[in-house]
Amino acid sequence: MNSQIKKGILDLCVLALLEKGDSYGYDLAGSLARKVEVADGTVYPILRKLASEGIVSTYLQESQNGPPRKYYHLTDAGRKKLNAEREEWIKFCGEVNGIISEETGGKADE
Amino acid sequence: MNKTEYLKRLSDELGHMPYGDVKDIIQSIEEHFDEGLGEGRSEEEIAASLGDPKELANEFKDGAKFNQIMKKRKRMADSFKGPDGRGRIFVIVFNAFVGIECWLVLLAAVIAAFMFLAADLGIIGVLVASMIMGKITEFLVPCIFLVLTLVCVAVFLVALVILGVKYYAKGLKSYIRWNKHVWNYGLGED
Repeated sequence: MNSQIKKGILDLCVLALLEKGDSYGYDLAGSLARKVEVADGTVYPILRKLASEGIVSTYLQESQNGPPRKYYHLTDAGRKKLNAEREEWIKFCGEVNGIISEETGGKADE
Repeated sequence: MNKTEYLKRLSDELGHMPYGDVKDIIQSIEEHFDEGLGEGRSEEEIAASLGDPKELANEFKDGAKFNQIMKKRKRMADSFKGPDGRGRIFVIVFNAFVGIECWLVLLAAVIAAFMFLAADLGIIGVLVASMIMGKITEFLVPCIFLVLTLVCVAVFLVALVILGVKYYAKGLKSYIRWNKHVWNYGLGED
């Protein structure tokens, strides 16, 4: 898929993953890369940007083995942003699908 | 590429970012490696799945740029909304009780140094003139030493006055700039 289109929507994907519960970088990277075709590293610049905007907050938590992990938490502002953008995206997808399927439908008739 | 090589490439590519940010970023990617190694993956495997370090660095840099733009926009928006007045009150009170007084004292010091210099040059002039005209006969040698001492003092004062004027102007300029900033945007970050 076009990387520009993907880039714009990955913020929303990360927010949606965090909606299910707080998580740490490695886990989020894996969850995202399993579902979308992106490099594991992609999640880190996004998390950093979201954190500086106050969309997510961070805290350290001990892990069973190894050093403490940096956890990310969706703030209230983040939740608001997620809900607003999710609606927008679903609406937009519906509109785009409408155009695309009409187009292919028309061609199929010819 | 192993872990060390990957981190080195990444920090090289991050280049001009502030040191604290680079450290933070490297730490988070290092943690990613450690988590992966804990799962039994190899360093090369993790590095490959992280993606090209140059591309990753660019994404970090884009994020930082985006933030700067947003901050600037927010500040502009705030200034259009009009300052909350606290910045202006601070500028007025600070200048009335501290700012202007400090600058006046410094100005007085610079003027005093200048006056000392004038007096010093005057004394040198009188002494040299007296010696040339032959009015001083008894204490000629101590007089010469006195003149030499006064010349040294004069050189010192010239340097002091030049530096004083230069830094006074410089300091005053940035002080005014700071006042303007506080006046317009208040006492915030930046």
